[in-house]
Amino acid sequence: MTEQTHAKLLRYVYKLSFDNGDEKEFEILLDEASLELQSDNNEPKPDWTKLKYSQCENCPLSDSVQYCPIAVNLSRLVSSFADAASYEAALVTVESPQRTYVKKTTLQKALSAIIGIYMVTSNCPVMDKLRPMTRFHLPFANSLETFFRSISSYLVAQFLLKTKGTEPDWELKGLREIYKQVNVVNKGMSQRLLNATKTDANVNAVVILHSFGDGISYFIDNGLADIEPMFDVFLKGDKDSFAGSVPPN
Amino acid sequence: MNERILIVDDEESLRMSLKFKLKSAGFDVDVAVDGEEALEKLKSRRADVVLLDINMPRMSGIEALNQIRQDFPETEAIMLTGFADFSTAIECLKMGARDYLVKPVDTTELVTRVRSLMRSRMSERTLQEVQDRISSILPNDLVAPLRKIQDLLDQASKLERDADAKERKKLLASAREIITKMETNLQGLVDVSKRVSLLEPRERG
Repeated sequence: MTEQTHAKLLRYVYKLSFDNGDEKEFEILLDEASLELQSDNNEPKPDWTKLKYSQCENCPLSDSVQYCPIAVNLSRLVSSFADAASYEAALVTVESPQRTYVKKTTLQKALSAIIGIYMVTSNCPVMDKLRPMTRFHLPFANSLETFFRSISSYLVAQFLLKTKGTEPDWELKGLREIYKQVNVVNKGMSQRLLNATKTDANVNAVVILHSFGDGISYFIDNGLADIEPMFDVFLKGDKDSFAGSVPPN
Repeated sequence: MNERILIVDDEESLRMSLKFKLKSAGFDVDVAVDGEEALEKLKSRRADVVLLDINMPRMSGIEALNQIRQDFPETEAIMLTGFADFSTAIECLKMGARDYLVKPVDTTELVTRVRSLMRSRMSERTLQEVQDRISSILPNDLVAPLRKIQDLLDQASKLERDADAKERKKLLASAREIITKMETNLQGLVDVSKRVSLLEPRERG
C-alpha cells in the first residue's frame, strides 16, 4: 500500500502473544473519514457467512444480499481462534495512530475489541450508528469507560443534529433503542459463531459486546448518578463555573 | 429480606450487566471473578442462588459447582456458558445444578428463571416442613394417643356394669381428654397443608 493511501487510513494493529509462544497479528484499516472497514479478504467465504444462515431477526438487508457483511469480515479472525478457550491468557499489544497499548488479558477480551470494530465498520445498517466510536477506540475498556464513550458519542451526534436544525434527543431515548437493536445483531452473530467454532472464545467475545448493550439502559437510569460528583463543577450552580458563565446572546 | 444472588464470571462486563438487571429486579446481588473467590464469599455470607460461568480460569465452573454443592447445599446453582454443550449441561444438572443458560443470556428470561427457582425452593422447603411435622406428629401425637384410648376403652369394657360405674366414667373422661388433644394436633396439620395449597397457584404461574 502506498504512503499516500496510508495517509487516508486509520490503522489499528492487534498483536497477541500466548504463553505457548504462539503469536498472531491482525491489522484493521478504516477509511479515516467514513470509518468504513477496508478489507482485503479474498478468501473463500464459509457457509456460516451467508446472510440467510442464522440471519438476525432485525436484519434490514434485502434478499439480494448474499452474505452478511459482518460475518464475511469476521471469518478470517474467527477461523484463527476456532479452537481457542475464552479465558486463555494473552499479552496483547494494540497500536493505534496515536499510541500503543499493552496488556496481559484474556483472549475473549482481545477478540471482543477486534470483533467490536469489525461489527460497526462493516456496513451493517443496524451497527452503523456505533461507528463513530471506532475513531476513539479504547482497547481493554471496562464497562464504565465504554458506557461513557457511547453516551458521549451519541450526545455529540445530537449536538450536530441540533446545529442542522433537527430536534436533538437529550433524553438518550434513541441510544437505548440503538442498543436494543444492536443486541439483536449481537445475539444473531453469536448464533452464527456457535456453529462456526468448536470452543467458546469467539462466542464469548460477542457475549461481552452483548453485555454492554444490556447494561447501558440501566447505566443511564442508575449508573450516571454514581459519576455525578465528577461533574460538580458544572452542577453546583456557581456563577463562576463553566455552566454559569455562558455569555448572554 | 431480598433473595441474595452471587454472580461468578471472569468477564467484568458480563458481571456488570447481570448485576444491573438482577438488582433492578429487586435481588441483593454480589459478584465474584472466579470459583475460588465465590467460595470465599459464600463462607462469609451465604447466597440463595449462584450464577456460575462454566469456563473460568483457575477453578472451572464445574469444580466450583462440586465444591458449592458439598459446602453450601442450601445454595442453588444456575450454570452459564458461551457454548451450547449439552453433555456438559447434563453433567452439571447431574451434579446438582438447577438450571443451565447459554450466553448471551436473555436477562429477562434469567430473572424469570431465578424467580421460578426461588418459588420452587420455597415450595420444597414448605413441603419438607409438612413432612417433618407429619413425621413428628404421627408417632407421638396420633399413634401413641390412639393406643392409649384403645387401652382406656379396653379397661372400661372389662369393668362390672354397676359396681364400677364411677371408674368407667373416669376412664371415658380420660379418653375424651386425649381425643381433644388429638383434634388440636390435627388442626395444626390442616393449617400447614393450607399453607402448601396457597403456594401451589404461584408455582403454577
